Amino acid sequence: MSSPLTRREFLRLTAATVGSAAVIGTLQTLLAPQPTYASAGVLQTGAQETIVPGVCLLCPSGCGILTRVADGRAVKLEGNPMHPINLGALCPKGQAAPELLYNPDRLTGPMRRVGERGSGEWESISWDEVVEIVAQRLSDLRTTGHPERAVLMWGEARGQLPSFFNRFMRAVGSPNVVSRESLNVAAARLAMYLTQGIYDLPAYDLENTNYVLAFGASLLEAGPVPQRIVSGYSFMRRGRSTRGKVVVIDPRQGVSGAKADEWIPIVPGTDAALALSMANVIIRAGLVDSSFVNNYSFGYEDFPDESATTLIQGFKNFVLKNYEPARVAEITGVPATTISRLAGEFAGNRPAVAILPGKGGLLNGTIGGVYAAMAVHCLNALVGSIDAPGGVMTQRYPEERPWFSLPADPIAERGCRAERVDGAGTRFPVAQHAYQAVADRILDGYPVELLLLYDANPVYETPGGTRFIEAFQQVPLVVSFSSFLDESAQHADLVLPQPTFLERHEDHFIEGLGYPGVGLRQPVIHPRHDTLSIGDFLLKVAAAMGGTVANGFPWKTYREVLRYRLRDVGTDWETLKELGVWMTPGYRFARRGSEKWVNEVVGRDRRYAPRDGYFDFYSRELKCILDNLDPERLAALGLAEAGDAASLPHYEPTPYAGDEDEYPFVLNVITLMSLGPVSAAANMPSLQEISGMTVGETWGSWLEMNPEAAKKLGLHDQDEVWVESHFGRVKVKMRLVTALRPDVVNLPYNQGHTAIGRWAKNRGVNGLALLDPASEPVTGLASFTNTRAKVYRA
Amino acid sequence: MPNWAMVIDLDKCVACQGCSIACRFENNTPPVKPNEALKGRAIRWNDVFALPVNPTEETGEYPNVKTHYLTRPCMHCDNPPCIKVCPVQATYKDDEGLVRQNYARCIGCRFCTVACPYGVRYFNWYEPAWEGSLQEYQNPDRIEGRDVLEGPAVRVRGVVEKCTFCIHRLHKARAQAEAEERDFRPDEYVPACVQTCTGKARFFGDLEDPNSTVSLLSKSPRAFRLLEDVGTHPKVIYLREG
Repeated sequence: MSSPLTRREFLRLTAATVGSAAVIGTLQTLLAPQPTYASAGVLQTGAQETIVPGVCLLCPSGCGILTRVADGRAVKLEGNPMHPINLGALCPKGQAAPELLYNPDRLTGPMRRVGERGSGEWESISWDEVVEIVAQRLSDLRTTGHPERAVLMWGEARGQLPSFFNRFMRAVGSPNVVSRESLNVAAARLAMYLTQGIYDLPAYDLENTNYVLAFGASLLEAGPVPQRIVSGYSFMRRGRSTRGKVVVIDPRQGVSGAKADEWIPIVPGTDAALALSMANVIIRAGLVDSSFVNNYSFGYEDFPDESATTLIQGFKNFVLKNYEPARVAEITGVPATTISRLAGEFAGNRPAVAILPGKGGLLNGTIGGVYAAMAVHCLNALVGSIDAPGGVMTQRYPEERPWFSLPADPIAERGCRAERVDGAGTRFPVAQHAYQAVADRILDGYPVELLLLYDANPVYETPGGTRFIEAFQQVPLVVSFSSFLDESAQHADLVLPQPTFLERHEDHFIEGLGYPGVGLRQPVIHPRHDTLSIGDFLLKVAAAMGGTVANGFPWKTYREVLRYRLRDVGTDWETLKELGVWMTPGYRFARRGSEKWVNEVVGRDRRYAPRDGYFDFYSRELKCILDNLDPERLAALGLAEAGDAASLPHYEPTPYAGDEDEYPFVLNVITLMSLGPVSAAANMPSLQEISGMTVGETWGSWLEMNPEAAKKLGLHDQDEVWVESHFGRVKVKMRLVTALRPDVVNLPYNQGHTAIGRWAKNRGVNGLALLDPASEPVTGLASFTNTRAKVYRA
Repeated sequence: MPNWAMVIDLDKCVACQGCSIACRFENNTPPVKPNEALKGRAIRWNDVFALPVNPTEETGEYPNVKTHYLTRPCMHCDNPPCIKVCPVQATYKDDEGLVRQNYARCIGCRFCTVACPYGVRYFNWYEPAWEGSLQEYQNPDRIEGRDVLEGPAVRVRGVVEKCTFCIHRLHKARAQAEAEERDFRPDEYVPACVQTCTGKARFFGDLEDPNSTVSLLSKSPRAFRLLEDVGTHPKVIYLREG
C-alpha cells in the first residue's frame, strides 16, 4: 500500500491481525463499501423505441404527453415539456394511462343486446351493421318529421368534437346535444356570463398575482384544469422572488387548504355572504379600483330606472346595507375580524385574484352557487383584476377554418326549432345544458327515439342516476360509445367500443392560460381492439344516410375533419403531429374600453343585455332573463330576493333536502386527484391503490368526519357506519379528519361502481346515490351540495 | 465522480402522487392484490403520506389544524444502515453515492427492511403478477450481467426491492453521451419522479458540484433531512413549507 494508512484502515488491519481474526475478518469483508461486481451489469432496453406526442384525457386539463413506445408497446408516459399546461409534468392519472390502454376489461368489438335490457346478454355485430341501424333510425325520424327525437349526450369532448356534434345533429335536425357541464363547471361559467358577459371559465394569471383567494375551488386537486393551476401555483410560490399568499375557503381543508397559507372553514353554502362582506370592507375602506368601477362597470352606484324617476339600488349601497362583517360572521362562521383582515389583504396586495368555485367545492349546484360565484367575481372587479396582469384572463381559442354552411333542409330546420330535451332555455331559463334533467324529461313524456351516449355514464355520474335506467326504457334505441361496459352501457341496445385517447386522432384546445393553443392526439400504437371513434362513426352514418346530411359531411375520416378545421391554426399538420402542440403564447391584456375589450373581453356572449364593455355588478342579462318569465314562473323559482335585488349577487340560504335536526350533516362528494372525474379510472388498479392517501386508505370508499362530531355520536375511527339521506343509505368505513367542519361529511367520488370492470365493480360506495336528484329550477344545475345526511353505527 | 442527490421542496409539492405512479411504470413495481394493499404490502418505492399518519393522533384542535404531506423516496444515505446488515452484499453503495440493490444476490432475509429507518425497502411476498394484458406495458429496461440483475428488471418472489434513483436512466444517459462521442454531463439524467413532478418540487443533481441546483438548495435555510439525528446522512434533502 503506497498511500499512508488512514485510521479506519489501521483499525481494520488491527482487527484482522490481532483480534479474533477469522470472525472479524470475514465481517470486515462483508462491510466493504463496494462489491467487486459493481460494474458487471449491462444496460438492456427495447430494440426499437419511438416517442409519440399526444394529449391526456383522464381529467379536463388536457396535459401534453410523450408516450414511449418500446417494441410496439406503450410502456411509459411523460409530460410534454413543450405543452404550456403541464410543462413536462404529469399527474398519477396520466402516468397510469398504460393501465387504461392495456386494461383487460376493455370492450373488444361492437355488441348488440340480445336479452332483456340490462340482462347482460350480448352478441357481436359488425360495424357496417351498426352504421346501417343508426343511419336507418335517423332517416326514419327525418321521414316522420321528428328528427328532434334523436338525442346526443356527451361527457368530456374537446377541440372540434363538440362543434362536430352540434353540426351533425343540426344536419339531422335535432337541437338535442347535451353536455355534462351542469354537473360540474356550469355554475362558474354562468357567473362569468351574468357578470362579465363571457360564457366560459376564466383563466387566472397566477404567475403574476400576489394574493389568491380560492372559494371552494379545490384548486390543486379537482378544479376545472387542475394541472394548469398547479403549474401556475408552483411558480407563484417559489418560482419568483416574492412568494404569493394563498387563502382557501372551504368546509374541508383537503390538500388545497393544507398547502395554503390560511384555511377558512366556512359554513357550507355561505360563500356569497363572505365574498360580499369582503366587498363591504373593501368599499368602506376606499380600496376599490375606482377607475374601473366608475368607467367600465354597470350597477356599482345606484342608477335611475327606465322612466328615470326612481333610483335602483346599486351594488355598493346594497352591499353596504346588507353585508356588515358582524352580521355575516353569524352566517358564515368566519369571525368578523378575519373577514376584515382578508378583505384588506386582498385589496391591499394587488394584483390579487379570487378563484371561482369549480367542481369539488361546496358551492356548486344551486342558484345560490351561481350568485356566490358572481359575488366572488365581483371581488375581482372591485380590485381591477378583470383582464389585468395578476388577475383574470379571458380564454381565447385558435383560429379555426369555418365549417362550410349546411345545405338548406326544411326538415332539419323545423326539427332544430323544437324544445330541447333537457329544458335548457325553457324549463330552466338560465341553463345552456341540463344533463341530469334528461331522464326526468323523458319520464315526463318528452319523446326520444334514439339516444347516443358519448363518454356519458349518467346512470352512475348524476345524483340519483338510477332513474336513467327507467328513462332508457322509454327510448327504443340507446347507443353507448365507451371503452368499457359501464353502468349506462349495460342498459343500452348497442355498445360501440371507443379507442382510448392513446389510439385515436383528436384535438384538444389549451384552456387555462388565456392565449390560444391546441394539442393533438394521435394513435401511439395500432388500436388494440375492433374500435371506431365516434367521429369516424358519425361520418360513416352521414354517408349512409345520403342526401343533405351526407352533403354536409364530405370527409372520410375524423382525421380529415381535423385537418380541415385546423388549417389556419398557425402551423401545418406535420409540425402539429411532430410536436403534439401548437400555441400563440403570451396573453395580451386588452386596454380598458378599447375595441378589443368590448369585442372580446367584456360582454361578448350577452344575448339580451347590451354588449357595451361594461362589467355588470348588477346583472342586466339576468334581469332580462327574469323579466321574460311570467310572474307565476318567477315566483315558483323561489328566489330569496325579489325585484331588482335578484339581479345583484346576493346570499341565498341553501334549500337543503333533509331537516337539520334529523340529518345533521351536509354531505359533500369530493373529487380526488388520484381517481379523478373519469369513470374508467376506477378500473385502473394503480389509481385504486393510491386513492385513499389522505386518510391512509386504499382500494375503497371512506367517510370523512370531524373527531368532535364523531365523539358526540359515540363513533370511533374505522367504525363501519351507515350514511343516510332522504334518498338512500350506504354502509362505509368512517375515518376521522380533524381538518374538516364538524357539520360536514365527505364521501370520495368514483367508487361504488356496479360495472366497468373487475377492479371498479362492487368496491366502495357511490355517494351520488344519496344526493337530491332534483335540478335547480333557474339554472338547471344538478343539486350536488344541498343534501343533508345522518350517520349511525352499522 | 458525481455524488447524486435530490432536493424536494415541500412548499411546491401538492401531494398529487404523480411521483409514486411515475416510479411504478418506470420501474415495474408490481401491483398487489387489494387485500395485500390493505395490509400495507403495496410496493411504491416513492410513497406519499399525510402527516400525522394516524388521524387519531393529537394534532391541535379544529379549526387550528394543518395536515402535512410528505413524499418519500429512498434517501440514498451516505451512511446507509441497510447495507451493513446485508449478509450477501446484495445491497451496496456505489462510488457515485447510489444505494443499489442486486436482485440476483438477494436471499430475502429482510434484514435491510428492518434496518432502514425510512421504510423504503419492499419485500416481494408473492410472485409479481400483472393481470392479463397489463403486462404489455412493462418497461423492458434492466441492468443485467453474470450474478447481476438491477433496475426495472422484473423481480421474483422473495427478493427485496427499493428506489434506485432510476439507475437505468443514468446508464442510458451515459450510453447516449458515449454514442455521441462526448462527455456525460450530470444534468443529462433525472429519475422518473423528478421528471413528472407536477409542482416542479423536485430537483436532482450532483452534490459534488458546488454550483448545481441541489448544492445551492441544500444550503437553503429551509433545508432539512429526515431523521437527521440517527446519523444516516440522507442525500434526499427537503425544503420545508412556508
